[in-house]
Amino acid sequence: MSIIQQHTSASLSDAWRTINIDALTEDSSVNFDTSTLHPPLPETSESEVRQLAQQVRQLLRGGDAEGALRGCLEMPVYNGSDLAKEAHLQTVIEVLQSIKASEMTPMLQRIYGTPGGSECLDVLMKYLYKGMATTSGSSSSSSGGGSAPRTPTRMTPQQTGFSQVGARPGAANESTGAAMSVLLSWHEKAVEIAGLGCITRTMTDWRRV
Amino acid sequence: MAAPEVHHLFHNPIADHSFSADRKTLAVARESNVELYGRVGKAFKLKDELKGHDKTVTSVDIAPNSGRIVTCSQDRNALVWEPSPQGYKPTLVLLRINRAATFVRWSPSEAKFAVGSGDRVIAVCYFEEENDWWVSKHLKKPIRSTITTVAWHPNSVLLAAGSTDAHARVFSSFIKGVDTKPEPGVWGERLPFNTVCGEYLNNSAGWVHAVGFSPSGDALAFAAHDSSITVVYPSGADEPPRAIVSINTQLMPFMSLIWNGEGEIIAAGYDCEAYRFKGGEGGWQLSGTLEAAKGRPALGGGDREESALNMFRQMDLKGKVSKDDTQLKTVHQNTVTMLRPYETNGERVTKFSSSGVDGRLVIWNA
Repeated sequence: MSIIQQHTSASLSDAWRTINIDALTEDSSVNFDTSTLHPPLPETSESEVRQLAQQVRQLLRGGDAEGALRGCLEMPVYNGSDLAKEAHLQTVIEVLQSIKASEMTPMLQRIYGTPGGSECLDVLMKYLYKGMATTSGSSSSSSGGGSAPRTPTRMTPQQTGFSQVGARPGAANESTGAAMSVLLSWHEKAVEIAGLGCITRTMTDWRRV
Repeated sequence: MAAPEVHHLFHNPIADHSFSADRKTLAVARESNVELYGRVGKAFKLKDELKGHDKTVTSVDIAPNSGRIVTCSQDRNALVWEPSPQGYKPTLVLLRINRAATFVRWSPSEAKFAVGSGDRVIAVCYFEEENDWWVSKHLKKPIRSTITTVAWHPNSVLLAAGSTDAHARVFSSFIKGVDTKPEPGVWGERLPFNTVCGEYLNNSAGWVHAVGFSPSGDALAFAAHDSSITVVYPSGADEPPRAIVSINTQLMPFMSLIWNGEGEIIAAGYDCEAYRFKGGEGGWQLSGTLEAAKGRPALGGGDREESALNMFRQMDLKGKVSKDDTQLKTVHQNTVTMLRPYETNGERVTKFSSSGVDGRLVIWNA
């Protein structure tokens, strides 16, 4: 009997079952410090990103698309505010959209052949995936302050061709579809040149853009 | 070059394999048993089964001189199988770990073996005469995650380990009374137990799948899940390495690697075939595949890999990807998980064996 008397209302309720034990266990994987998985990264400020964007636009206007692409791939924003990262993504997408489809492969081949080129293509792949994950990339270059929000929004899952009831998301926002097709064709070309290794590195790398 | 010798043993993954020194006995880890095959003419015939583990066996290693077999398993145990006229007699080893044992290798001296585990320790095991018992000492300090692989230095003191925390490390596993004091070398001068002689991380991280010392022991290579191979040339105690050469390949990640002399590495993994790397301190390069190029497009070219865009376009149009072939063009039909030297001539490997998820064991000319 004495044991039963020691029960309190707290111990009789099952609230304790919802305690996140993992967070309290020092050795648990949720307490793993992921910053040990990459070398120390210099911080990039938003103004630096804007400055680079200016230079890249200048190169684009001057017709040096390859220089513009290299320029923004050699300075990925690994450690910076969300706004800085977002701004750099816009710059990269702007450059990608301004390059003709026939130019893609030769340009990537030239970049891959130079020292550090493999790293550049890995960075490109990271931005391609980031671009595909966000929709805001579509409006910025074509129509300045367009309808799409500045903050990244998740893509709604694409409907399959079978359901014709609702409006197709691609049709509702045509520019999103166009941006996606640009990213997909760059993805195809990048895999052709840098291989599947490029994708595995995008997945393993903790230096996130 | 002669064609590789292919043995399709069974339809289960081979976690690990090991040949005896005379190459007549082959030990293969299959599910929770270890199967011993004997060479009969050109084939391998099952002749014995080592039953002692009750979970998946993760690794097996035959000591070339003593003939002892060590196995380890997800049941957290390691067993040493002593050959005797009545068959193999198992002895349990006290590993003192609370997670699966993942990898085991005898030291070249055969006086010790190292067991990697999911408990973030490496158990270095040695035989204590007075207790008639295998005991273990733990290498623990900077390990932050599961150990996936270990490899011994020729001096039997230094041990390389790869981990899922993306680091490859070199430890001292010096045990008094078992080891003779090693000569000072590029990895350090004083080497008490658990000295960390090196800790290496790739820029693009990734689990480390394989590690290996070069034949001289003065260089370390490791393969990680970022499809890269990294070779480290150390320069001495407490000094940064002379060179770290990293090759980011266009291929899928490598699961296993072996050195062939000081200037060549053979690696294989998720691409189901072995590749050769050549180089030295100045730089390393992928020099090609080891499979005979027979009606196969060159590396990286042709339509071997469908792009994601094309694949989805095909799936959209036809509901399937155009090609129906289920047969890979490689000898192995699934991931290669282990490479081992089979026949050596001094520092050079003349033949090596590979095993994989497809249940095949293949002996290649290096």
